[in-house]
Amino acid sequence: MNTGLLLALFAAGMTTGILAGRSAVRIWLGGTLVGAGAAIVAASQTLLTGATWDWQPAFAIGAQPVHLRLDAVGAWFLMLIAVVGGAATVYSRDYWSSENHPASAPAGRCWWSAVLLSMGLVVLCANGLHFLLAWETFAIAAYFLVTLDRKNSETRAAGWLYLAASHGGTLCLFGLFTTLAARTGSWELGDMREHTELAPLFWLVLAGFGVKAGLFGLHIWLPSAHANAPSHVSALMSGVAIKMGIYGIVRFSGWLPVPVSAAWFVAIIGVGSAVLGVVFALGQHDLKRLLAYHSVENVGIILMGVGFGLVGLANGDTAWGRLAFAGGLLHVWNHGLFKSLLFLGAGSVLHATGTREMSRLGGLWRGMPWTAGLFALGAAAISGLPPLNGFVSEFLVYLGLVEAVNAHGGVALPAMATVVLLAMTGALALACFVKVCGVVFLGAPRSEAAQQAHECGPLMRGPMLLLAGLCTLIGLAPVLFWSPVSRASVAWHPAWSGLPAPAGLRALTVAHPVVAVAALMGVALLFRRVQRSGGSRAPTWDCGYAAPAARMQYTAGSFAGIITAWFEWVLRRERHVQAPEKAFPRHAGVVEHTPETVLETVFKPAADRTLRAAALARSFQHGRLQSYLLYLVAGLIVLAIVTVWPVWQ
Amino acid sequence: MSENLNIFVGLAMGLNLVALGSSRLTSVIRAAAVQGVLLGVLPLLMEEFHWMILVVAVLTMLVKGGLIPSLLNRAVKSANIDRDLIPLVGYVPSLLLGATGTLAAVAVAQRLPLLPAHAHTLLVPGALASVFTGLVLLIGRVKAITQVCGYLILENGIYLFGLLLLHSTPLIVEGGILLDLTVAVFIIGIIVDRIRTEFDTLDTHKLNMLRE
Repeated sequence: MNTGLLLALFAAGMTTGILAGRSAVRIWLGGTLVGAGAAIVAASQTLLTGATWDWQPAFAIGAQPVHLRLDAVGAWFLMLIAVVGGAATVYSRDYWSSENHPASAPAGRCWWSAVLLSMGLVVLCANGLHFLLAWETFAIAAYFLVTLDRKNSETRAAGWLYLAASHGGTLCLFGLFTTLAARTGSWELGDMREHTELAPLFWLVLAGFGVKAGLFGLHIWLPSAHANAPSHVSALMSGVAIKMGIYGIVRFSGWLPVPVSAAWFVAIIGVGSAVLGVVFALGQHDLKRLLAYHSVENVGIILMGVGFGLVGLANGDTAWGRLAFAGGLLHVWNHGLFKSLLFLGAGSVLHATGTREMSRLGGLWRGMPWTAGLFALGAAAISGLPPLNGFVSEFLVYLGLVEAVNAHGGVALPAMATVVLLAMTGALALACFVKVCGVVFLGAPRSEAAQQAHECGPLMRGPMLLLAGLCTLIGLAPVLFWSPVSRASVAWHPAWSGLPAPAGLRALTVAHPVVAVAALMGVALLFRRVQRSGGSRAPTWDCGYAAPAARMQYTAGSFAGIITAWFEWVLRRERHVQAPEKAFPRHAGVVEHTPETVLETVFKPAADRTLRAAALARSFQHGRLQSYLLYLVAGLIVLAIVTVWPVWQ
Repeated sequence: MSENLNIFVGLAMGLNLVALGSSRLTSVIRAAAVQGVLLGVLPLLMEEFHWMILVVAVLTMLVKGGLIPSLLNRAVKSANIDRDLIPLVGYVPSLLLGATGTLAAVAVAQRLPLLPAHAHTLLVPGALASVFTGLVLLIGRVKAITQVCGYLILENGIYLFGLLLLHSTPLIVEGGILLDLTVAVFIIGIIVDRIRTEFDTLDTHKLNMLRE
C-alpha cells in the first residue's frame, strides 16, 4: 500500500483522536488505534524495502515549502511510536478513564493523540522550521500529559521542571537550526557531511537533544516527570519521548560532520549515563522514580552503541563500529518495549494499591499474578538476561566492542574498559530488579493496601501482554530483526550497503529458543516434582522468633544498602538515624533519602545565583520617575560622547 | 542684530537659574512663562520681517506667556497644591549644577562644528543650557506641576535649537509644536486634577505603587 496514503491515515486517525478525545471515547480509541496501525504498516514497509518516501507538495507553511520524508531511520522510530503508543492507548482507556478522573481524562485523551501525532511529524519533517514546530508541539503536549494530575503540587513542580529543561534544550535547537539555515542557505534538512565547517554544530545537537534524551547530567527533569506523570504517560515518555532525543542525535550525527572528539564524547557520556543511571536507580525507593533512572541507564547503553559507531566511522569505517551502532539502534526498540511494559506494570501496581512507595508494597504476586509475571519478564529483559530482547541488543554492542578490542587499535583499551563497565551496568541492573521484584511482588504485604491488591482488567493486561510478547519475539528470533536494523543503519550511513547478519546473532537465534525451552522444561519438571511430593506451605524460617511481622522483611533500602554504600561518593544519601537507646527503647528509626544530586548540587545553586543577579538588576526598576529620567539623561550623555568624540579627535 | 539676540538668550539662561533656585511653585511657573515670551521675540530679531513670522511669534508669546501659565496656575489652585516645592536635589546644589551646566554648554558649543553664521551667537549654548536645566528640574523635583515646568523649559531649549533651522523649517511645523505643547499641558492639568481627586496627593513618590 502507498506509504503516503498510510501516513495520511496516521495523521487523520490522530486528528480524529484529538477532535473526539473530549467526548467520544470510542471514536478517540478507534481513531488513535487506526492511526497507530497505519503508521506501523508504513514504517514496516519502509524498513522491509528500504525505499525512502519523499513528499514535496507545492504549498508552504511559514514561508517554507512543506517537505516530508520517511526513510529507514525515521521509520525505525515511527515504528516505536506507533507500537508503544498504540499499546499504551488501550491501557489508558481503563487506567485513566473518565469515571476515575473526570477532570483530566478528556483533556488527557486529546493531548495523548496530539503528542503521538507531533512525534510522528518530528520524524517525518525534512524542513528545519517545521521540525522545530513539531518538536515544540510535542514538548508542550507532553507537558500537559505529565501534569494531568495537576492538583498534586509535586506533579506541578515536575511539570515546570520538565518544561524549563525542555525549553533549555529547544533553545540550543533554535541555535542549531538557524545557524544551519544561515550557513547552507536553506532550511532543508539532509546530508551535510561535505560542509566540514559545520562540525562544531554537533555539540549543539548533543546539548539540545541530550536534554530530551536524558543524558546523565542533563537528566534533571526526567525522574520527577516520569514518576509523577500517570503511568501510561510515563510509559510513553520513557519508552518513546526520550527516544526522540536519541532520534535527533542519531539523525544529525548522520547528516552533519561529526568531530572525532564529539564521537568519543558520545561514547563516554553513554558509559557514564549507563553506570550512574543504574547506581541512582538502586538508591530509589519510589517504584516509578527507580524505573525513570533505568531510562537514564538505557539511554546510556544506546549512546554507547551510537558513540562507538561514530568512533568506528572516524577510525576508517570499521566493522565493529557498524555492529555497535546496530546494537544501539536495536536497543532503542528494546528499551522502548520493556520500559513501557515495566511502567505499565508499575501503573497496575499503583492502580491497585494507590502508592508508588516500595516500602508500603510487598506480596503482590498473590493478588496480581499477571502483573507480577509480566513485570518480572520486563525486569529480566531490562537486566539483559537471555533469552530476552535486552540481551540481544547489548550482545550486539558487546560484539562490536570485543571486535574493537581484537582489532588492537587505539580504541582497544577504551573498548575493553567499556565492556567491563557495560557488564557492571548489567549486573547492577539485575541487582536493582531483584530488589524491585523481591520487595514489591514477593514476601508479605507491608500495608493494608498491598494486602487488598487486585489484578488489573483485561484492557490493561492486554497491552502488557503484547509488549511482553514483542520482547520475547525479539529475544527468541533476533535474526529476523537484523534486516530492518541494517536498513536503518544504511539509511544513516549510505556507504554501509548490504550488511550481512553477524554470525553471533545467528548463533543467538539458535541458542535462545534452546535456552527458553530448557528453562520452561526445567520449570515444568520442578513444578511436577513439587506437586508429586505434596509439599506444604510454611512461613520463611524466622530464626526462632516468635512473632514475625511484615515489617521485619528486607526493605528496598536495606536490600540495596551494600551496593549503594559503594557509590556513596556520588549518591550522597541523607540518613537520619534515631538509634535505640537503653534496654527498652521507645522510638527508633532510620530514614534514608537519595537526593537528586545533579539537580541539587549543580543546577539549583546556578539557578539561585542567576535569580540573585536578576533581583539585583530588578532594583533598577523601582518606579521612581525622576530616576528613570536620570537613566535617560545618563544614556543620552553617553551616546552624545560616543558620537561626538570621534569628531573631536 | 546678534547683540540683541545674545541679550535675549542670555536673559533666558538667567531665567533657567531662577527656575532652579526658586523654592516656590508660582515663581517657577512664572520663570518658565517669561522665558517663553523672551524666546518668542527671537524670530523677529533674526529674520527679515514677514507677516507669517509675526503671527508665529505673537502666537508663541500668547501661548507660552499666557495660556500655559494660566492653565498651570489654575491647576495649582483647583488641586489645592502646596506652593512649596519638595526638592530631591536641594536648591543650592541645583543652582550649582545649573551653573556648571551652563558653563559646560558654552564650552561644548565652542567646539561643535557650527555654521559661521551661528558660531558667535548664544543660541546653541542657550539651547543646551535650557535642555539641561529642564532635565535637572524633571529629575530633581517631586511635584507633578514642577515637572511640567521642567518639561516647558526643556521644550524652550529645543525651540532655541529649532531657531537655527528657521530657514528650512516651515512655520507651520513651529505652529504644530506649539499646539502639541498646549495640548500636553492641558492634558497634564486634567490628569493632575484627576490624580488628586483619586489619591489625594500629587507627590510622585506615592504614585510609585502603581508601577506594576
